[in-house]
Amino acid sequence: MKINLDLAKRLIDSAIKQARDMNNLCSVAIVDENGWLIALHRMDGAVIPTVDIARDKAWTAAAFRCPSSEIAKFGNPSQPGFGLNKENWNGRLTTVAGGLPIKDGDEVIGGIGVSGGTPKQDVAVCQAAIAAILP
Amino acid sequence: MKKLTLEMAKRALKASERWAREIAGYPCSIAVVNKAGAVIAVHRMDGAAAMTTDIAIEKAWSVVMFKIPTLMLARWIDPRNVGKQLGDHALGMLTKGKGRLTCIAGGIPITDDYGEVIGAIGCSGVPTAVGDISDTSVSQAGWSALYG
Repeated sequence: MKINLDLAKRLIDSAIKQARDMNNLCSVAIVDENGWLIALHRMDGAVIPTVDIARDKAWTAAAFRCPSSEIAKFGNPSQPGFGLNKENWNGRLTTVAGGLPIKDGDEVIGGIGVSGGTPKQDVAVCQAAIAAILP
Repeated sequence: MKKLTLEMAKRALKASERWAREIAGYPCSIAVVNKAGAVIAVHRMDGAAAMTTDIAIEKAWSVVMFKIPTLMLARWIDPRNVGKQLGDHALGMLTKGKGRLTCIAGGIPITDDYGEVIGAIGCSGVPTAVGDISDTSVSQAGWSALYG
């Protein structure tokens, strides 16, 4: 299965519904398996920088094929990935939680990024959106 | 119509996508921004190139910053005007806006009942610019859906 605009729109609608239930104003971004943006919506009243933060989170999750919160492990000096710089990645690399890879079985088909609430709430919104659309 | 909402942006995007698919015949990206130039919604249609999302966003941003369609900005960087007369060109514009300024046709303003700019639609992905098969016409289809 590949991610397309229709699926992206359904994921965003479901995420925005979830965010509204939690009383959050946020932006939701969906990227394809290469990290390129497919769709992005900002809820009325969500602050402007959430647009780019949501997109960064989605890019990080899709490109590294892991939740954006786990990127921080590369910064651990005892790990082989130590030295990974924040530049040279489109300027998009972020370690803030709230980006999750979208998986079809074991294969990563895209990424979702949410920004607007606390990182914990953002992750909950991502999870709920994926669970509702991709059983 | 006083200000753009996500609902309105989605309505515009739906109409633009239909035009791009059925009349222009090319998949493209369409972006709607508010009066601050901040993105409200962006869609990249299946098959559209990756770069088109950023160009669509930046076209819409450029429209809001100058309050005129990006088609008019293109005149400023036309190299044929260079050297004709003082003030004939504005090539210096190319480096403005931290490189975000986009002088390519395809972005059009959205105005309120008093003619004040409250946002913009930008489209990128249609390789020709003739009549109905152009980025501008795809943007206009979304524009019409807002006022219809």
